Parts: sequence; C-alpha cells; structure tokens
Amino acid sequence: METTATTHLPSDYLPILIQFAAALGFVIFAIVVTHLIGPKRHSKVKDAAWECGVESVGNARTPVSYKYFMTAILFVIFDVEVIFLYPWAVNFRGLGMEGFIQMIVFMTMLMLGFYYVIKKGILKWE
Amino acid sequence: MRLSDLYFLMPLLILVGAATLNMLVVAVKRNHKVIFGITIVAHLVAVFTLLQLNGSSYQIPPFFVMDGWGIFNLGLILLTSLFVTLLSYAYFEQREERKEEYYLLLILATLGACVLVISQHFMALFLGLEILSVALYSLIAYLRTRERSDEAGIKYLILAALSSAFLLFGMALVYAVTGTMSFPEIGVYLQSVSELPLLLLTGFGLMIVGIGFKLGIVPFHMWAPDVYEGAPAPVTAFIATVSKGGMMGLLIRFFSQADAYRYANLMLIFTIIAIASMLAGNLLALRQKNIKRLLAYSSIAHLGYILVAFLAGNRLGVEAVSFYLVAYFITSLGAFGVVALLSDTERDADQLEDYRGLFWRRPATAAVFTAMLLSLAGIPLTAGFVGKFYILASGVNTQQWLLVLMLVLNSVIGLYYYIKVIAAMFAQTKSVQERRKVLHPALSFASGGAMAILGLLLIWIGVYPTSLVQLIRGLLATFMTTF
Amino acid sequence: MNEIPEVIRTIPLQYYLFFSSTLFVIGIIGVLTRRNAIIIFMCIELMLNAVNLLLTAFSAYRSDANGQVFVFFIMAVAAAEVCVGLAIIVMIYRNLRSTDINILSNLKW
Repeated sequence: METTATTHLPSDYLPILIQFAAALGFVIFAIVVTHLIGPKRHSKVKDAAWECGVESVGNARTPVSYKYFMTAILFVIFDVEVIFLYPWAVNFRGLGMEGFIQMIVFMTMLMLGFYYVIKKGILKWE
Repeated sequence: MRLSDLYFLMPLLILVGAATLNMLVVAVKRNHKVIFGITIVAHLVAVFTLLQLNGSSYQIPPFFVMDGWGIFNLGLILLTSLFVTLLSYAYFEQREERKEEYYLLLILATLGACVLVISQHFMALFLGLEILSVALYSLIAYLRTRERSDEAGIKYLILAALSSAFLLFGMALVYAVTGTMSFPEIGVYLQSVSELPLLLLTGFGLMIVGIGFKLGIVPFHMWAPDVYEGAPAPVTAFIATVSKGGMMGLLIRFFSQADAYRYANLMLIFTIIAIASMLAGNLLALRQKNIKRLLAYSSIAHLGYILVAFLAGNRLGVEAVSFYLVAYFITSLGAFGVVALLSDTERDADQLEDYRGLFWRRPATAAVFTAMLLSLAGIPLTAGFVGKFYILASGVNTQQWLLVLMLVLNSVIGLYYYIKVIAAMFAQTKSVQERRKVLHPALSFASGGAMAILGLLLIWIGVYPTSLVQLIRGLLATFMTTF
Repeated sequence: MNEIPEVIRTIPLQYYLFFSSTLFVIGIIGVLTRRNAIIIFMCIELMLNAVNLLLTAFSAYRSDANGQVFVFFIMAVAAAEVCVGLAIIVMIYRNLRSTDINILSNLKW
C-alpha cells in the first residue's frame, strides 16, 4: 500500500474494464436474445404498462392477494440466509474441507426447507 | 470440531434430524400417526443417548458446555416434551386443522430450550432463545380459526421480540465493557474489578428484562395470562414448563459461571422481583374464574418461589431449584393435561363451570387434577410439598427471613384458590351438562396413560423424595465446584 | 485506503453509544405508541438494528470478530421472526380485516 497512486498505470484498470464490459455485454445479450427467441402474445392484459396481475388504474388501496405476501415472506427467509455464505466464501481457503462440509450441511437443510415449501404448493400461483 | 463433540451433542442432533425428517414426511404425505410416532421415538432416542453421557464436565468451545447441570436440564426438558407430545395426540386428533406441523414446531421449540441450557456464550444463548421463541409464536397461534389464538400469538410475538431486543442491547453493553461474550471469561473480568462499572450494570439490567420476560415474572408477566388462555392446552403446558425451565437453567448457569452472586445490587433486584411475583401472582389469581388464567397467575407465583431458592446462591439453593423444577413440571403437565383432556372440538375447557361436579362424571380425571392442585398448593404427600420445603430450607440456611416469610404467607393465600377449584369439582350438580363425546376411547389412551404416570410420579416423589435428591446431588457434583 | 475498522474508529465510541441508544429509544417509543402491527414490527427491527450497529462498533474498536458474527446471527433471526410475525398478521387480517391491534382485546384479566 506504500506505493500508491504514482505507480498505478492505466493498464492496471484493465480487469475492471473487462468486468464492466462483460456485465454490460451480458445485459445486452439477455435483452436482445429474449426479444428474439421469446414467444410473443398480445392481449389486453399483456400489453398493459405494468403487467403483474393487478389493475394498474384505479384505487391503490385495494387488498392484494396474500400470495404476494407468502412470496415476500419466503424471499426474506431465503435471502437472509445468504449472509452466512459471504464470510465462508471470503475465508474459503482458510476454512478448508471442514468448512465446506459444514456449508454443505447448512445448504442441504435450507434446500430441504425449500423442498417442503414447493411441495406445500406455496409458490403455485393458480 | 471433534468427533467426540458430536457424541456429546447427540441428543440435540437427534432432535434436528427428527425435525427435518418430520418436515420431509409432511411434504410427501400427511399422516398424524406417523408423525406422532417419529416424534415419540426421537424423544426416546434422545433421552437414551443422554443417558450414555456421564456427568463429567465436557467443554465444546466456545458455545457449549455439557456438565451435570446441563444433563439434568436436558433430561428434564426432553421428558417434559415427551409428555407434552403424548398429551397432544388426542387433543389435535379431534380438531379440523392440519396437525402434522405442530410436532415439527414442538421438536424445534424443545431443541431451542436444549441449546439454551447448555450454552455458555451469548450467541448460543441468543440462538437457543430464538429457536424456542420463534417456534412458540407459531405454536401459540396454531389453532388459527380460534380468534383468541391469533391474538395471543401476536401479543406474545410483539412482547417477546421487544424483550429479546432488550436482552441484545444488554449483551452488547456487557460485550462493550468486558470484551467477551462467554460466561466464564465474563467471570474472569468481574474478578478483576472491585465493583460493577455503570455501563455493565446497565447491561445486566437490560438483560434481566429479557430473561424476566421468558420466566414470566413480575413486572414482565403481563403476557402470561393472555397467552395461557389463547394457546392450545398442550402448548400452554409447554410454555409453563420447558420455556420457563430452560431460562431458569440458563440463569443459574450464568450466575454461577460468571460468579455474579457477589453483587448486592443485582441480588436486590431479584429479591424485589421474587417478592412481587409471589404477591402479584397469588393475589391476581384469587379473582379468576378461568382455569387457564388461574394457572397462569399461579405459575407466576411459583417462579417467584423458585427465585427464592435461586437467591440462596449456594449448592443447597441450586438443589432446591432443581427439585422444585421437577415437582413443578410434573404438576403443571398434569394440570394442563387435564385441561387438554376435557377440551372439546370447539374450545378448551377453561371455565370454572366446566369443572363443577367433575368428580361425579369422571372420577379418575378429577382425582388426578385434585392431586395436581394439592401439589401446587404444597400439601404434604405431594411433590410440591417437598419442593417447597426444600426451598424454605435453602432460604433459612442463608438467613433470608423476609423471603421465607413471604413464601409462607403466599402459600397460605395460594391455598384458597386451589381449594376453590377442588371444591367446585366435588360439588353436586343437578343439571349435569352432557359434554359432546367425539373421541374414540382408544385415541385418549396416550393422554390417559401419560396422566396416570404423572399422578404416580407426583405421589412417589412426595412420599419418597430421597431417590430424586440423590440423582440431583450426583449430577450437580460436577457443577459449581466453587461452592 | 484505510481498513474499514480504522474508518469506524475515527469516530469516538461514545458517539456510537449515544446514536444507537437514541435509535433504540425511538424504537421503544414506536412500539408503545403505534397501533398498527406492521409499524410495531418496523420499530422492533429498528431496535435490533441499533443493537447491530453497537455490536459492530464495539467489535471494530476491540478488533474482535465475535461482535460482527453476532450481527449475522441477529440479522438471520430477525428475518425469521419477522416472517412468522407477518404470517400471523396475515392470519389476523383474514379473520378481522384489520391490522390494528386495538381490535384485539378479547383477552383481558
């Protein structure tokens, strides 16, 4: 860290540029390809400005389906568990095989819970 | 992580496995009998693996310690949970709702209490407490068509979350001052300072809020009657026993490992809490017409009694706490078991009127209930009497005359409302209201058997307490060698 | 470029203590005065986050990882708690068509 700023060449930033280009490229690729190969159906609902199953014009204070709620709750649970992956990923080498096994056990438990959720049909929309 | 760690944690691992297995079985196919069977077997196996462990102190750094006190509490919790499971089958079989997840949540709550009693670190404490609490929220609100159930659930949820926030803030302050979260190291720090710094005292004070809430002691008792009334009867039995007992186990571990008995101001807080709990519990119970609420106030008072023994702060005190916990667990299980047995599909049998003339309709049930109430009142020949005597002995031993006086006075007040219920059961009634008989007798076999065992245990410990005392002494030998 | 704990240490420890105590008290006041169950939950979250902040600050000051690991646990547990809480609120809403906790007054004395 002693040799800051002065010794940095523009070429040192190349990995960042590559990363940036890859990210941008993936976004453009995804957008273009989905437009090209995605099926196209036109109907009144499909062409609405905000298509998610709710009337986009009218009183906003109407009660919404509790299915949104269930999905949101599940998202909160499964999203937060990911924070345990970060410290493990950062110290992946240090924790070694034992840490790997522990993380597999943890993820297995999580996935079993997910299996239960799917089997209960909570994510089924109809 | 050593392999022998797994061996010592086996009872907890079995509970984890059983909970996961239950979840998978429910996902594939619902069957009340299968889930019930898995739960019973898991408890039995867990108790069996627990018996394999000897009472020597085994450290699993940094979170857990497996010593005599931990093994005693684990055994108590697992057996209590087993009895709750036995009582639950008939209770939930006659209800429309989905019954299977109940057992899953019950195992998880038991697991939380088990983690709590063997923890020696703030993180393990917090995780155990929250596994217990989160499972309890759903258990309390389990019968969702009953409007009191969800009200009790949300009340407990808000207050429990609030109290755990207080507990956490207290922990953060203790961590700030001592720089550690493990109980023995906090003890080492406390040895090095002559008196408590203000920040540390604040931290302990905030932690007492969180602990006091779980124990349901005055002034943190407001939830108890509401939750007891709203929750299904077996869940109420669970809250009254495992949830409170687990926290008591933790409290004693913390105080002995951190050697916090030395601080007069902390002891003063607990003395005030104990006296207030005994008085408030017994006085508020006097006017109750609702059996579940009456038992809730009575449990507040009983936790006050246990605190008297806790305040003795010596080996005799811990022995008294252990003995009283056993007696109180048996008695509470029995009492709420009777409530569960008498409940019909519509509501729980919680009004005093439901019990009027019970003796002439169902003599065996009434006899068990009478025994349980007499034990709660502390009448000789029951476990409750010996327990109370033990507590008195520990109080006298340390010359806490005020506490001893309050204990005796409150036992007399308590006698009144227990006798009131007993009198109602033996009263002759002209119009015997015919309860709806929906249960096949074979269904209540598990409940009936459990009740009979509880009644026998109650009398056996009351008449012949020596064997239990020996057991407790043996297990406590490795705990607290400092005393 | 400084390490993050060093950045944290540029502010005196008392400030963190005052700040998170204030957040905590705001949370308590919210729980006691608001009547909507969801807002009460938000206030409890605020209290928990005040604790998280405090733990992180202490952890950085003491160069001890325990406090930060604890923060992870608190976050995960808080999420679980909120999920169960929201589920119960949905249930109450379906029964009563409201999330105002004043309606819930069947259980008294």
